[in-house]
Amino acid sequence: MGREASMKPDYRIIAYVTREKERVITSNCLALYAESEEASKEMTVDIAKAMKADVVQITNGDYMIIRV
Amino acid sequence: MEGQNLTLENVSTIVAAIIVGTLARVWLLKEDYRQYPSYPNGYLIHIITGFVASALGAVAIPALMSKNFVAVTFLTLALQQFRDVRKMEKESLTDLENTEYTYRGTAYIDGIAKTFESRNYIAFVTAFFVSLTITIVPLNIWVNIIAGIIVGIAIVSYLKNFTKGKSIGDIAQVKEGKVEVKNSSLYVDGIFVSNLLGTDNAEKLFKEEGLAVVIYPNENHYRINLDNFGQRQAALFEATRALGNKRYNFTRKDYEQGRIVITLVPIKQDIDALIEVVKKCPLLESTKKSHSVMKTNLKGE
Repeated sequence: MGREASMKPDYRIIAYVTREKERVITSNCLALYAESEEASKEMTVDIAKAMKADVVQITNGDYMIIRV
Repeated sequence: MEGQNLTLENVSTIVAAIIVGTLARVWLLKEDYRQYPSYPNGYLIHIITGFVASALGAVAIPALMSKNFVAVTFLTLALQQFRDVRKMEKESLTDLENTEYTYRGTAYIDGIAKTFESRNYIAFVTAFFVSLTITIVPLNIWVNIIAGIIVGIAIVSYLKNFTKGKSIGDIAQVKEGKVEVKNSSLYVDGIFVSNLLGTDNAEKLFKEEGLAVVIYPNENHYRINLDNFGQRQAALFEATRALGNKRYNFTRKDYEQGRIVITLVPIKQDIDALIEVVKKCPLLESTKKSHSVMKTNLKGE
């Protein structure tokens, strides 16, 4: 995981998938609202597969798709 | 230089020294579990550079004996050549960084490049001493050559031993770790490793196929070496190289007890091989320090 300290780390948030509309705010990354848990999982996996990225599930249940 | 043709003795000396020096390089050109260099071109490159190093070492004494002192300045060429070997290795391995399962890391690359440079010095020094022995032993040329070969073997054995580094297995215990995935976070023996397993697929994959080892340093001060990012990256690299890597590879250190976790989803499910490869991972020279020197009072009271 990650690179050496001498190499600049390149973590990029590709998308943020949430089930709370209030948390969808404008930002650099794509923020998506999902109506159900199932829908958020599907969206997350599809985006992660397409972008060859990793998925982090945040404690509040939201998903963050990041690329290391 | 007129009238200074090479005598038969000189030719024998140079040829014998070059052969012994090159063979020394071949002896050190081992293909081990790291599988490097295991390709024919790599072998050829290193044998040829070893041959050139031996040739430089072999002709130094005959050049001096013929009072050709200027010719000895070509030894500077030797230094340049050895540095180029290091540079060549470094560049070649750095170019490959993005194509491997994970990064070797600059510290590991530096260590490998230094090793290749030092092996050329070994070929050079061996050829030099073989040449010196053949020249100064006042016996029949064939006896001298045999004496030279014996000295050459002794020198290579000594230098091989001298340049031999230690490995992780020498300073730490490596044991299998228990992989757990809780709430999309990965834990090994209770140590948090990563929370990148956010999807059900990732959780399932790691639960079913994930392997992990935990490194326990034998002494507390060995943590200085093992915690080093370059060192951990080297161990992770060797693990992915030996077992392959389907997806995910992580290394993590535990601050409290100094344990180091190496974990991955390998292609080849072989925990014994994983333990072995981590144990045999070389300790990087850049992270090495002598504990006894740390205790020495160099400044005085």
